[in-house]
Amino acid sequence: MTTAVTTAMTTVIRVDRITKSFGGAAALTDVSVDFFPGEVHALMGMNGAGKSTLVQILSGALNPDSGTLEVGGLVQNQLNPRQARKVGISTVPQRRELVMSLTVAENIMLGQLPTSGAMVRWHSVRETAQEALRALGITIDADAIAGDLTVAEQTMVEVAREVRRGGKVLILDEPTACLGPEAAQQIRDLVLRLRDSGVAILFISHHISEVLHLADRITVLRDGRVTWAGLATETDEKGLVRDMVGRDVVSRRPVRPARSNEVGLSVRGLCDGRFLDCFDIDVRRGEIVAVLGPAGDAQSRLFDLLSGRRRFDGGQVSVAGKKLKNGKITDSLASGLRCVTGDRRRLGLIPGLTIDENVMLAQDRLDKRRIHRWSLLTRRAKPLRERYRVVSLAENPPVEQLSGGNQQKVLLAKWLGTAPSAVLLEDPTNGVDVSAMAEIHSLVDRLAGEGVAVLLASSSAEEVMRLADRVVVVRDGRRIAEYQVDRITRDELIATTLGGAL
Amino acid sequence: MSAVATLTRPVRVGKIPHAGLLLVLVGIIVFASVRTDSFLNTNNLLNVARQVSVVAVIAAGLTLLMVAGGMDFSMGGNVAVTTAVAAQMLSHGYATWLTLVTAIGLSIAVGLVNGAVVTFTNVAPFVATLATATLLDGVALLVINGMSISIDEHLSGLGSGTTFGLPNLVFVAAAVLAVVAFVMRYTSFGRDAFAIGGNEDVARLSGITVSRDKLVLYGLAGALSGLAGIMLLSRLAASSPGTGGLQLQLTAVAAVVIGGTSLAGGKGTIGGTILGVLLLGVVANVLNLLQISSYYQQISVGAVLLIAAIANLLQSSRKR
Repeated sequence: MTTAVTTAMTTVIRVDRITKSFGGAAALTDVSVDFFPGEVHALMGMNGAGKSTLVQILSGALNPDSGTLEVGGLVQNQLNPRQARKVGISTVPQRRELVMSLTVAENIMLGQLPTSGAMVRWHSVRETAQEALRALGITIDADAIAGDLTVAEQTMVEVAREVRRGGKVLILDEPTACLGPEAAQQIRDLVLRLRDSGVAILFISHHISEVLHLADRITVLRDGRVTWAGLATETDEKGLVRDMVGRDVVSRRPVRPARSNEVGLSVRGLCDGRFLDCFDIDVRRGEIVAVLGPAGDAQSRLFDLLSGRRRFDGGQVSVAGKKLKNGKITDSLASGLRCVTGDRRRLGLIPGLTIDENVMLAQDRLDKRRIHRWSLLTRRAKPLRERYRVVSLAENPPVEQLSGGNQQKVLLAKWLGTAPSAVLLEDPTNGVDVSAMAEIHSLVDRLAGEGVAVLLASSSAEEVMRLADRVVVVRDGRRIAEYQVDRITRDELIATTLGGAL
Repeated sequence: MSAVATLTRPVRVGKIPHAGLLLVLVGIIVFASVRTDSFLNTNNLLNVARQVSVVAVIAAGLTLLMVAGGMDFSMGGNVAVTTAVAAQMLSHGYATWLTLVTAIGLSIAVGLVNGAVVTFTNVAPFVATLATATLLDGVALLVINGMSISIDEHLSGLGSGTTFGLPNLVFVAAAVLAVVAFVMRYTSFGRDAFAIGGNEDVARLSGITVSRDKLVLYGLAGALSGLAGIMLLSRLAASSPGTGGLQLQLTAVAAVVIGGTSLAGGKGTIGGTILGVLLLGVVANVLNLLQISSYYQQISVGAVLLIAAIANLLQSSRKR
């Protein structure tokens, strides 16, 4: 079903006045975008603005209701995922799609293993895969097991796989989400190398500064319409936010009341394998202290240890002066400490249960309720849903149907609604859009304002600068520096994290 | 975007849960009524009701357990042991109450052993309970020494008695189903089961005592196996080799799964399980009435299973 039409020679994909609705609700209205080879084209917008619908249309998972999609000058009316790949459109989705138990080489060659007869030619598999990696300047051993790689490395392997398959257009859906500054930089470098080799890249990210640095061209979606499109040099941070949100979003450090001298949460000599080496930190009530480090370093172990999910090798944790038992979840909860994970899928929410049930999951268990009254549940969950601005269009759907930002708010409501005395927050704005991020930041401000001791485990310097009073920088499980946030600039902080000036 | 879509999607009226399954069941009942006069015969219907009651009690316990992400393959074996022990005790002249208490106590103990193994050793429930199932089948044969042990009229009030024209066994099964349905929907214990089945790590971090809950759930599955064993014994008035065991177990598992309970945990309803139990019971009965050779019976049961499972899945995927 392809017909030749004349079009500007240079575009690889031309999206022309595409409209797509689901059951009467328009997800995309009259969207037109052109993609050029050798260009990084950033797609921006809030959760639910239509980014993923557009990506799904480009990758053939959905077909538009009206409008045309031209690939290399040919109109593609009924694209399916296999054809999309055939015409050179490949997607690296947000959730890694590697077979974690296989080697990097097998993953890269997946479905195309070179064989002689029925036998796999392993030598050739390894050679070809290693060459594909080398061509992109990636230094990963093709014999490594995919599951052992860091998230950034997994992303690179996926990119290498798609490029080897002949991808002319590469769609990267939030490739730098959940990555530390160093790893994110590696991904950005890779994107630039790909661009220079002539690949058209569709780059999706919530990080505005990243997009402004990386992208050549930007298209902003809001409520399924293009609100701004043009060269990256023609806009700025404020303009992008306004185009995405429809108004100015202000997320500024508030003036908080002076914090008390009482220590709310105290960690002494905490040791855990190679991740934490005699780690000390005190958080006073009403204070926000951040632990900042590369992704996967010391700060990402705090959740497991403080929540009682994992026993620590040595040291002690006290909440409001009371020592916690090592490795006891119930004891950690009883002390008033609440640990909010950064991995809501795995450790945060129960996807099949409704919003209300998830919101009240912890509180009901703390109250030792025996009878589950649905009407009462709704009534008790309501104020929390309102306070944490959980938006759902159905009454009370399973939490798996919500957007990432709303899921994150449900997670925060679940834990912060339980009158905590101390809180560990792990990357609280992971994968949420600017507007939700600003809301979550004010919620955390308010929490500290109420006298809660907040420990923030983060891999984002921006977030630390916005929220924390004090920041402890860690690397290789050790504390390497500590600053009052008002005495340091963001760039200095990033430099310290990366191991620059001390 | 999917959220936007749900906003304006017209609300489907009369969205009957398990409509596909219900349709298959009604279809088979209509077919049976047309093809054979004996199906709608009162005696036949009472007989079917007695048969499905036993399966229903096992399936009820299994539904709750599977919702919590567990699995117990030894319930049939547990039934076999319970009937064997109870039959021996009654035939040796022990008091009925003592027999019941011993039998149920024994079955709870078996359930707790399953639970302890699964909870504290991380052996997959499937493997652990398949092992105990084999073990229990052997124990049952030992207890009755491979013979048929009759209990005469000891439990006939339960087994063949009726109240308001319905078999007493049906009342027992209905009570069990109602209690389990209530527990699943209106108690924290039941909701904890959904949470554990949905994501065990999250459940534990949310302050749910996962280990204790699991032990209780396996204990409960054991207790209901014991009750089903007593019911089966009262209906058959004897315990023989092959009473209970794997065949009964597989019927119960099939009924639960046909009823839409997820093997992965986190999803399931008693309503679906009831339909599953009824469907399997009616199909078995109809095939008997039509005097179809037992070879074809197996083939037909398999085919119905497949159709019902697909019908159920089609509906749930459309709902999404």
